[in-house]
Amino acid sequence: MPSWQDFQPFIVSGLALGGVYALSGVGMVVLYQATGVVYLAFGAVGAMGALIAWSLAQAGAPGWVGWLVCVAFAAVVTLAYGMVFGPALAKRDPLVKAVATLGLTLVLFGVMDLLWTTSGGRSRAITLPTDNPAFMIGQVQVIWTQVIGLGVGVAIAVGIGAFLRYTKLGTAMRAMANDREITATLGVPVRRVEAAAWLGCGVLAGVAGLLLADLVALDATTLTFLVISSLAATLIARLRSITLTFLAALLIGLVHDLLTPIQSLTNYRDMTPFVLAAVALLVISRRRVMSTAASREEA
Amino acid sequence: MREHAPRARAAAALAAAIGMLVAGCSSSTTSTPSSTHSATSSPSSSTVSTSQCGTKPGVTATGTPIPVGGIVTDQPGTSFTDIAFMAKAYFACVNANGGVNGHPINYIIEKEQTNPAQIAGEAKQLVGSDHVVAIVGNTSILECTIDHSYWEKLGFDIIDSGIAPECYSTSNSAAVNMGPRYSSDGAVQYALSQHVSKVVFDQSNVPGTGYIAAGPAALAAAAHVPIVQLTENVPISDANSVAIKEVDDAGPNGAVVLNFTPPEALVILQAAQKLGLENRVKLWGCSTPCNTDFLAQSLGPKWNNKLFVNAELAPPDSTTSASMSLYRAILQQYGSSVSGGVGSFSQMGFTEAEILVHALESVTGAYTVQSVNAAIRGVSGFNTGQLCQLWSYGSYPMHIPNNEDWTVTPSNGKMTTAQGCTQISSVDPQIAAYRKVAGVAQAAP
Repeated sequence: MPSWQDFQPFIVSGLALGGVYALSGVGMVVLYQATGVVYLAFGAVGAMGALIAWSLAQAGAPGWVGWLVCVAFAAVVTLAYGMVFGPALAKRDPLVKAVATLGLTLVLFGVMDLLWTTSGGRSRAITLPTDNPAFMIGQVQVIWTQVIGLGVGVAIAVGIGAFLRYTKLGTAMRAMANDREITATLGVPVRRVEAAAWLGCGVLAGVAGLLLADLVALDATTLTFLVISSLAATLIARLRSITLTFLAALLIGLVHDLLTPIQSLTNYRDMTPFVLAAVALLVISRRRVMSTAASREEA
Repeated sequence: MREHAPRARAAAALAAAIGMLVAGCSSSTTSTPSSTHSATSSPSSSTVSTSQCGTKPGVTATGTPIPVGGIVTDQPGTSFTDIAFMAKAYFACVNANGGVNGHPINYIIEKEQTNPAQIAGEAKQLVGSDHVVAIVGNTSILECTIDHSYWEKLGFDIIDSGIAPECYSTSNSAAVNMGPRYSSDGAVQYALSQHVSKVVFDQSNVPGTGYIAAGPAALAAAAHVPIVQLTENVPISDANSVAIKEVDDAGPNGAVVLNFTPPEALVILQAAQKLGLENRVKLWGCSTPCNTDFLAQSLGPKWNNKLFVNAELAPPDSTTSASMSLYRAILQQYGSSVSGGVGSFSQMGFTEAEILVHALESVTGAYTVQSVNAAIRGVSGFNTGQLCQLWSYGSYPMHIPNNEDWTVTPSNGKMTTAQGCTQISSVDPQIAAYRKVAGVAQAAP
């Protein structure tokens, strides 16, 4: 078993990744609350935005231009998808809505494979200025991008939580999560609220894509499927709680990385999101069965 | 209740969607042949004309075409088409300059997506429908494993770029590259020659890792240096922790040797750089996939003389042979489909094509499966101009004709030679077994 000192660097890397997973997860929960859509293309739009940013940097554009374009691309594509397909699919089953976004994922994935081919062993990387200089916490070297990863995750979770609770638009989104039809009859501009949710989710996808391209890899496959960890966090939170999504994402990032130095478990660490999600679902369903049984007894 | 029902459906949808994503993800975790691109620079010294491809410069071959086939993996994230496309470019050059004794070569490329049934079907199609007389340029994750018995039954002797063990361990497959195992041997061998106290060998967690790991393990054991064998699920989603683990395991006088595709190797090396880990070990090594200027450019100068990469084919930038000039000239004139440009992939395609043409030129009479494959098997001591050694096929139970290599290191965005041709050690039992039956090949002039 590794020593406490051995684990320290993995706490830093796990928290940073967990922070970005939280950012992604929160974005998906907000979108689900407003539209009922589980947005599986979250990773793909971020990945394509990051690849566009890389191409701009290669063409000599300043870094900040690429970052802005990355976020703008993810926001525009997400908003466009929501505006075009959202209304048509509004009354369909959640599974249909989710699978439709999988279609967008596959389209984007194909385009990325075509435009940024890995044929011939080509590889790319994004380096943010926050990667240097690093600083030390004890014996562990930390880069500012890791701090930003965690910080943005915290800020988004707190900010979105406050937004949903204290703003008119946030209240409208929460109302739509309960019942879209009744909310509409109460005079809430449903389309406008949905558009805001799609746009916000797209912005978060762009930010997450950029951060993950730096922290993990600028690779279409990797970034597209990293969304699985965030999905697991939203599943643990039952697509409902921002706080729980945030905590679950941090837990997934931490547990995943802390398993790395443990020789016997290291090759199983990618199962972390699935195992934690499965355990959470089992606990939730058990509690529901028990509460139902208790209600019957009382009756 | 009203609220719970949609949420339950959403949870089910989410679980199903995760399943679909995982299914999609799993298809993209693959290994590669042990060679990839070395450069994208434009041809610089094309003093050799493409008219040297054939015996009748400028005369288009009009005889009966010689049908030749090849099977390559081409799927998202893993494409080896450049190898076959470069072979096709070579054949186009030959056809435009007299062909082979007046016969043009009709090269048919089949692409596969790591589907055993598809691979077997394509082999049968090449034989049954296209009536090919030779198979060259195969570069596939599974093809050697799936088809080698079929080819053997029909009397085909394959010239390929090997990945699977069967590309090296069977009687009817000879590769121009060394493959992941022997390339990893080369990288570990270089690290051991620098007197490291420990080796950490890390590779993709894909089928065949045990076979690959056996070579480096034998070399380290013979040198009495402890070796830690690691595998990583790909695509790597936590490069920082992978890099930390490798460095912690290796120690300050140790070496970390990687066997990954360029994108995966890059994320590990870049994570190490960001975390300031590159100097926390004595040296970093990598099998041939890291031999790419893309990687050298992305990594920057911190890795100069810190990362040492095995190179199975001649470094294009420091080789001025006639073969290298012809390769560049063909690539420029006929290689528009070769997306990666100058580099190991296209070098492999060039080498395989030139060996086949050399064999075909020795055929007297009709070009049949029997006559052509006898000629291929008869290739002996051929100077490809791309390898350390002369290349031979021969009638052996196994084939590792490329078992001597270079070591390169990044230098200002390019890979430059750090060590000249060096034989892979016979401590690897497979290399020893091959040299026992085939001897040690003569060095290329």
